[in-house]
Amino acid sequence: MALAEATVFAVIWAIVTAIAEIVFRRIKDHSMYYTISSQGHIALSAFNFLSSWLIPIFTFMAVMVIFALVRFRAPDNTPRPSPVQTLRNKWYILLWVGVSFALNIMFWLHPTAVDLETMFANWKQQQNQHPLIVNVTARQWEWIFSYPQYGITQAVNAQGLDELELPVGRPVEFFLRSKDPFHSYDIYADVIHSFWIPAFGIKEDVIPGETRTEFLVPDHVANYETSPLVRVQCAEVCGPGHPYMEAPLSIVTAKQFSQWIAHQKSLQAQGA
Amino acid sequence: MRDMAQAEPRNHLEPKVLRMAPVLRGFFWAAVGFATGNLLTLAVDPFRGHPWVTEPSAVVGWVGALMGWLLGVGGYEEIILPLFGFPSTWVEPQDWRRYFGLSTNHKVIGIQYLFSSSAIFLIAGLDAMAIRYELMQPSMHFFTYSGQYLTAVGVHGSLMMFGVGTVAMISGLGNYFVPLMIGAKRTVFSRLSGLGHWLLPAGALTLIASPLLGYWDTGWRGYEPLAMQDPGGMVFYYLGIFAMTLSTIFTSLNLATTIIFYRARGMTWARIPLFVWGILTVSLLNLIWQPEIEMTFVMALLSKLVPWNFFDAIGSVETYLSMFWLFGHPEVYIIVLPALALWNEMIPVMAQKNLFARDWAVIGLIFVMMLSGLVWAHHMFTNMRNSEMFPFAFFTEMISIPTGFSFMAAIGTLWKAKLRLTTPSLLILMSLFNFMIGGLTGVYLADPPVNLQVHDTFFVVAHFHYTIIGGMIFTWIAAMYYWLPKLSGRMYNETWGKILAVWIFIGFNGTFGQMFLLGLQGMNRWVPAYPPYLKSMNYEVSLFAFFLGVGFIGHAIHIIWAWRKGPLSSENPWHARTLEWMTSSPPPEENFAAELEVVRGFYRYDHDNPSAYFVKDKSEST
Repeated sequence: MALAEATVFAVIWAIVTAIAEIVFRRIKDHSMYYTISSQGHIALSAFNFLSSWLIPIFTFMAVMVIFALVRFRAPDNTPRPSPVQTLRNKWYILLWVGVSFALNIMFWLHPTAVDLETMFANWKQQQNQHPLIVNVTARQWEWIFSYPQYGITQAVNAQGLDELELPVGRPVEFFLRSKDPFHSYDIYADVIHSFWIPAFGIKEDVIPGETRTEFLVPDHVANYETSPLVRVQCAEVCGPGHPYMEAPLSIVTAKQFSQWIAHQKSLQAQGA
Repeated sequence: MRDMAQAEPRNHLEPKVLRMAPVLRGFFWAAVGFATGNLLTLAVDPFRGHPWVTEPSAVVGWVGALMGWLLGVGGYEEIILPLFGFPSTWVEPQDWRRYFGLSTNHKVIGIQYLFSSSAIFLIAGLDAMAIRYELMQPSMHFFTYSGQYLTAVGVHGSLMMFGVGTVAMISGLGNYFVPLMIGAKRTVFSRLSGLGHWLLPAGALTLIASPLLGYWDTGWRGYEPLAMQDPGGMVFYYLGIFAMTLSTIFTSLNLATTIIFYRARGMTWARIPLFVWGILTVSLLNLIWQPEIEMTFVMALLSKLVPWNFFDAIGSVETYLSMFWLFGHPEVYIIVLPALALWNEMIPVMAQKNLFARDWAVIGLIFVMMLSGLVWAHHMFTNMRNSEMFPFAFFTEMISIPTGFSFMAAIGTLWKAKLRLTTPSLLILMSLFNFMIGGLTGVYLADPPVNLQVHDTFFVVAHFHYTIIGGMIFTWIAAMYYWLPKLSGRMYNETWGKILAVWIFIGFNGTFGQMFLLGLQGMNRWVPAYPPYLKSMNYEVSLFAFFLGVGFIGHAIHIIWAWRKGPLSSENPWHARTLEWMTSSPPPEENFAAELEVVRGFYRYDHDNPSAYFVKDKSEST
């Protein structure tokens, strides 16, 4: 009977965990968040993998707190020594330390090591597939997108606001720079920004004086109407204009993209 | 030898009655100091003529003001006179007035710190309420300028981290209880410690005054190069935090030295109470990392004033980020280590059960302390070299193992216990639950691909509030209830304590639990305006936040009421075995009636023998 308490606990824990896992799988089918890029899928699957392993740990603690409140509670507040007095239990310690080492090393190998390998390998591969190059310039407070392969220096929409448009299924390489092309004499004008497209699952800080690159393949036609996560957003505080430092993004078919490029070229010709 | 060291260090030859209350005199001298420093700078300023207060003159003026303040609250009589060979003329009043001036008694200093950090908690909390009120609508409707909102965010973060997180448990409870728990009559550097407290309100007031010099918008991290182009408020950010961290350094130096040298007879390393271990490990962390951030801030300040281009595109931007987080991550363990220690301090008492695996609980604290300096760059996954992600992901994962030892000991102690369900017990169980969520969401953040998505979003905001409020603040309130009978000799109301505990638990989880979802749905940080689709959840979060705020104020009112008017409590209401319960409540000036000798550990409840004796006659024990 020494393990009676432990058995009751284990049964409750198992039931609660099973329910939580089932609920989580139902939520997961609708996706934790909207993702439409190669790298976003890596992050989302890691998120889901971690969730399903962390749920049992969470339910362990939650059930333990409630279990302690119900089963291990003194009838009143008069101080009297607990009937059971344990100093240590080597099997419990061994199990706890062993499991926490095993889990952490597992998390480090999978998803972390595996995903980093995949991520870096994807970048290499996409680099060799003649990606669409987009130069992203971050200034206070604007995202400027240019397409050097098509001779477009600043892509804008009908209102003259910056916009980013990408063809679906084609690798993209972003070159990220923080500089103000309109005030290039001012060394204090450049600060850290962070290039974030929530739907792509990428975020890369744009550091003054450095050029960063990002690779990915968008895999769905989408825009802000499809999901509000399809937008370019500055994620690092960069001054009072930070909340307004965003730009619309649309992912379109190859045909629409070439039409858009032609339109941008004509706009640029008119401007010049 | 020890008797000599613990003897009263000075004689008052010519006791002097101050004409002005020390705090008032402090303010007055600070004003004089500021004016002097400011005018001196203007006098030598080759470009003078524009504003009366410039960034350099504000810095020099601030140094003058700090000196005036510290001398005015008692530093002149207690520190400067003895330094030049004159006897100190400082006399501490024996009534409530002694809390409003420099004191050398560790219990007075502890209460001063508790009061100051509670006041800072209130101010920074009201600030948070303003932030949440703004976020109820997707566009600006409360603050008039987004720089104003960002200043509010920065002041909230800086005050909470440097004025509450690193202060309430370490300088507040630590100063009061560590000497009592190790059986000491006083601390080693009492005067330094007494002066240290007055750096805290000075630093907090500096931060609160920072908008006077212009809205700064970097948040509590002061990221460069944005800080370089920010208005003058940035200067007060550096100086305010400099004063507050200096206060923490003084406390840590004093408490670590006291723990090493002033322990009672028989208080061996194997018997040191858990909370004392927590304070010792945290003091070592403070002594290593607080000077590091002060040096960084001095560099950043000079870089702004001179200007030197240390941290902009001409220098190295990422060096600032690394230097900030090199301190910044240990900082969160500085905040939470005393909480982890306090769980295992209080649970055995409340359960009247042996502390399970005490050695593992202590080893956990020590390993967290050592590993905490190896994880900082996980704050930089979005801007570091790809090759560096892997090792930092490793150490970040690994630090959860020693953190887990505290949970292991707590659960082992709870298992099959008969836990008295008092307010402290309830708050500790809640803290275990909350901190577990904070820790588990840290596992997501340790994985670089996931981090690249949720970094800089409300997911992170929720995560660190779970560790800091959920872990530290809940435990701080638990400790306040637990030690209230010792601090005041009075007892709180159990019903109200529990109602308020459940109140803040609901408010807290409602507020920050939803922030995880907000982050996943694309809510980024530092924005007073956001895409409208996030409005409904933000609105709900704000309602819960107001509920939480009211709960904290409720706890404060309840504790103040019990402190003054609560029913008288017995000498040792919890039947605890640590030394602080072996004296009257509140303890007398010299803590104990006689010298103590510790004869066994404090966490055994399987026998009735006392853990320490008073040494009646000194010749007897030798």
